[in-house]
Amino acid sequence: MKKNWKKLTALTMAGVMALTAAGCGSGSAPSGSGESGAGTRAPATTAAGTTQAAQTETTPGSGDGEEVTIKITWWGGQGRHDYTQKLLDAYTQLHPNVTFEAMPAGWDGYFEKLSTQAASGSMPDIVQMDYLYITTYAKNGSLADLQPYMDNGTIDVTNVDANLLNTGKIDGKMVGMVLSTSALVTGYNPSVLAEAGYAEPGTDWTWEDFKTMCQTVKDKSGKLGTAVGPVDDTNIFHYWVRQHGEPLFSEDKKSLGYKDDAICADYFEMWKGLMDGKMAANPDEYAQIQTLGQEAGPVVTGDAASIFEWNNYTSKVAAVNDTLKMTTPPMLEGGSKGLWLKPGMFFSIAETSKVKDEAAAFIDWFVNSEEANDIIMAERGTPVSSKVREYLVGTGTMSSQQQDMFDYVDMAADLSGSTPAPDPVGMSEVNEAFKNAAYSVFYGQATAEEAAASFRSEADAILSRNN
Amino acid sequence: MKHLYKDNKVAYVLLAPWLAGFLGMWLIPMAISIYYSFTDFNLLNTPSFIGITNYIRAFTQDKIFYQAMKVTFAYVFALVPLRMAFALFVAMILNKKHKCLGLYRTLYYVPSIIGGSIAVSVVWKQIFGNKGVVMSILEAFGIQQKMSLVGNPKTALWVIILMGVWQFGSSMLIFLSALKQIPGSLYESAKVDGASGWITFSRITIPMLTPTIFFNLILQIINGFRVFTESYVITDGGPLDSTLSYVLYLYRRAFNYFDMGYSCALAWILVAIIGVFTVLLFKTQKSWVYYETGGDE
Repeated sequence: MKKNWKKLTALTMAGVMALTAAGCGSGSAPSGSGESGAGTRAPATTAAGTTQAAQTETTPGSGDGEEVTIKITWWGGQGRHDYTQKLLDAYTQLHPNVTFEAMPAGWDGYFEKLSTQAASGSMPDIVQMDYLYITTYAKNGSLADLQPYMDNGTIDVTNVDANLLNTGKIDGKMVGMVLSTSALVTGYNPSVLAEAGYAEPGTDWTWEDFKTMCQTVKDKSGKLGTAVGPVDDTNIFHYWVRQHGEPLFSEDKKSLGYKDDAICADYFEMWKGLMDGKMAANPDEYAQIQTLGQEAGPVVTGDAASIFEWNNYTSKVAAVNDTLKMTTPPMLEGGSKGLWLKPGMFFSIAETSKVKDEAAAFIDWFVNSEEANDIIMAERGTPVSSKVREYLVGTGTMSSQQQDMFDYVDMAADLSGSTPAPDPVGMSEVNEAFKNAAYSVFYGQATAEEAAASFRSEADAILSRNN
Repeated sequence: MKHLYKDNKVAYVLLAPWLAGFLGMWLIPMAISIYYSFTDFNLLNTPSFIGITNYIRAFTQDKIFYQAMKVTFAYVFALVPLRMAFALFVAMILNKKHKCLGLYRTLYYVPSIIGGSIAVSVVWKQIFGNKGVVMSILEAFGIQQKMSLVGNPKTALWVIILMGVWQFGSSMLIFLSALKQIPGSLYESAKVDGASGWITFSRITIPMLTPTIFFNLILQIINGFRVFTESYVITDGGPLDSTLSYVLYLYRRAFNYFDMGYSCALAWILVAIIGVFTVLLFKTQKSWVYYETGGDE
């Protein structure tokens, strides 16, 4: 009898300990996530500022005067946290009945936290949303339909490009108000190129030119031609696939959209060649680069020539190095227009929110008002409202990097094809499979053809399970 | 009867905090997770019952599941003997009379307190990473590495194992207190009989320690299967999933891929594995664990 007890105790002990495992490591940790618009990594800060013990519940449709608290969450770096708090304070001054409970966070862990909040029905009222996840949340019905607010004018969208606006529409429901436009860029350090004696690239350069540039930089200065993590996510690959005239995903999102695995194999092959030639950072070096954070990255410090980023790249790192420049990513000779204007980020309203009207009014102010955009200063990417863009250009207060960022959108528009549909559900898993397939090539454990085929089979399995 | 009843009330009051924690934090969540493991649940939808599909999927369709399993078993089987041997070694050294013994004991325990933290993992990553100290030292000795130890799929797991071994403190303390309890008379009579140091160690120290070894073994195996922080922070499971620990995979499934039902199934598979190991160990203890009191018979 005693023995049985011992077994039971042991089993219980084992069970309990096993189950405690997952909960103990959710602190923010450096890990690679290619993020749109907000790569600056900063520790999550706790909500501070205007949080007030005001009542949280009001009936929907309450007008001015009634006290409401709007819970709002976003990801970003410390700079964004600071000015967004200022922004919220400014709004409270205009509308004394509205106070905010701010929940700023870093990109790492942001969506892990949001998913648990959504699961427990305590999603913040206003949520900064990414293209990567918006479909997932929309499909589960956790985001409110914003169309009525756009129809009745609460959110004024007259100055927003219709194509761009529709990126927030999932299955016919407007679940996100797009806040900014971004586009893929090649950022480069002119002084590194000058040192190597290589002319700065124009918008008509090709992948061949890119390789020549990397080779020249390597030969002349011993520095890295590019410090990008080309397989952190599928954005650059997506661009590559589109240049080959194919979509990355099929229309029903149940499988990959391109037919020929050679497209993928060529991509792996190209990067492996660059890494083997010490022109690009290999996975090992890249892991080290990632720990530095963006402001201390090799392109900024002048240890590498180029990087693939989003068009707010130079303004993001301007505080550390204001000499960086941007151009469009390389073209494929004889290829089609691969670029697209990507919605930078969205504001969504939780379906569970009890203050939807007030939240929508705030979003309108955020998107359209001059005083809000004076504070934002396009840090979240190029504003979607053409009027706001004009206004900001007109004020003359923008730095040259911000000016570049605005100009880039026009420059890229000429080279852009249609905007692809939002990422399918299971996107982060597809990204992980892509990275693993590519790394197996980079580490010499598989040929590019094998890796391309295995990526296809895994991606198709993930996509058909999720969509 | 009356005073007995009163006593119970006090007992319940005193038990209440623990009981609330046990129910709220362990029992109920555990029960819920069993339920979820039989459902299709992505955190946001309403769970729908799908029987044992999740379990079948793990064993038949999930290559990464086997990879994570492989990594975790390799980790446990390398870590546990190494950590215990090291803990015993240090405990033997500290089991002597010395002026600053208290200080040393504390110092050697420090890694166990801070070792599991994020900060130390980050430091570890820097030390063993590309351009890290270890690489420089190896180069100074003429050992040219193509990749850093963390960046090489063949060695990355060893860096994580090394970090685990470094946290030997709690086993060491348990060994130390057990060493103190071995009667001095045994050693004295061995000395009189002319036994060498090795004989004394293998015939007296080890047998007398077997209950402690047994206890440590179970504790360490359970702990080993739960490895998370190190592989999450130092390598994020990479390179090439070579350090993807089971719990990290489970975490990814739940919170990165919104695959909560499946993730719960994975958790329960882990519980079963740990359970099997524990039962097996208990079954073998008769053959090698020596209880002076004759065990529980």
